[in-house]
Amino acid sequence: MAAPADVIPRRPTLLLVVVLSLLFVLMSFSSRTRYVGETRTLFERTVMTILSPVPRAVHWLGSGASDMYHGYIDMRRAVAENYQLHHQLADLTADNLKLRQSDADLRRLRSLLAYSDQIDLETSMAQVIMLDTSSSFKSVIIDRGSASGVEINDTIVNSSGLIGRVVLTTKDLAKVQLMTDSNCSVGALIERTRRQGVVRGDAATGAQMYDVPSLADVQPGDQVLTAGIDGIFPKGIPIGTVVQAQRGQDLFKRITVRPAVDFGNIEEVIVIHTRKIPPEIVRYAP
Amino acid sequence: MRWLRFIIGLLIALTLHSLLDSFYPNALAFFNPYAILVVYYSMGGNVLGAIIAGVAAGFVQDAFSNTIFGLHAFSLTICAYAVAYINSRLVLRGTLAFGACLGGAVIVNELVIYILVNILLKQRIEMFEQQLLVKTIFTTLFGMAIYQLMLLFLREEPIEATQRQAGW
Repeated sequence: MAAPADVIPRRPTLLLVVVLSLLFVLMSFSSRTRYVGETRTLFERTVMTILSPVPRAVHWLGSGASDMYHGYIDMRRAVAENYQLHHQLADLTADNLKLRQSDADLRRLRSLLAYSDQIDLETSMAQVIMLDTSSSFKSVIIDRGSASGVEINDTIVNSSGLIGRVVLTTKDLAKVQLMTDSNCSVGALIERTRRQGVVRGDAATGAQMYDVPSLADVQPGDQVLTAGIDGIFPKGIPIGTVVQAQRGQDLFKRITVRPAVDFGNIEEVIVIHTRKIPPEIVRYAP
Repeated sequence: MRWLRFIIGLLIALTLHSLLDSFYPNALAFFNPYAILVVYYSMGGNVLGAIIAGVAAGFVQDAFSNTIFGLHAFSLTICAYAVAYINSRLVLRGTLAFGACLGGAVIVNELVIYILVNILLKQRIEMFEQQLLVKTIFTTLFGMAIYQLMLLFLREEPIEATQRQAGW
């Protein structure tokens, strides 16, 4: 395995000694320049300048690749986050809708309860389950019937005012004739002047008030309340507001009343179990 | 051709140096790509060429390391000379032989640097023993892997055992 002695170089060994000596001098010089504040020798700077494109290119490529990689990772993360946020948004929107619904229900029920407390008569709550305001006979059906104590001619109101009266009951349901029905008449009075009359439903305008003399003081904006003289509706329930009061062709005014209740969005109602006048008294004639 | 390969190898080592410096600054404390290059070249047995390779690789390493300029050139020249000298006398072939030479060269390189830093800067390298051990193991294993890959894919005899003629 040993090589012949003549191939072992001698001069390179001498060269090694020379090179190492020169390097040692260079190192000594370099280490000394560090103490006087100069960190790099001219030779060192020259080598750096010649080779600087390599680290610069590496840095450029490395940072480019790093940016691309991080950009890609960030994009993937953003896509996943976006997907997750979309789901979250859908869930939150559904929750928000539920909460809004609950909030609206709560406010409506609170106002209804507060209104119900103001009425001296016995009351119960009911939910409207069917609404028909389009046909000539305007009615709603509520989810309380005779089993809940609902009787014919019980008054139906909500927090805004008068809705109508019960015209038919079953065990669990009741049909309510709305005050806007043309067959419904309500004894009414003008709140400001206490002038009495009769409010009837009107398909075109909502309601008309009759039997008010031409000379009576009725102005648009006057509040119309139940008068409590018809034996069905208790006194003082808001019916609506006068929107037009004109002198009629006969002795009475033509008064148009806008109902206080928006019949398009009735949900919960209060059933007022009114005191019924016995038929004998109604029929009795001295 | 061999010098061209050395220059390409030097550029690759510098690229590796820059990459590690940019992304894992502590990695160069445990790994020396220049030592692999110099040992690979020196195993050809050309002592003169080995000295030049050691100086060139050392200068490049010095230029981009914050040490005394010439420190690595000095240590790598000694390593290169030693490896070339041994290979001029003995025919060492194969990955294991390369690994042995590389491991020895790394140890010598680190010891020379340790001594020079002590002499010139009057400083001690902290955790020198641990660093030496880790650097030797990592550099040797990595160097052997590269050597094996070159044997497999370049299909070229890396050790020019027949070109023993050294000299001016």
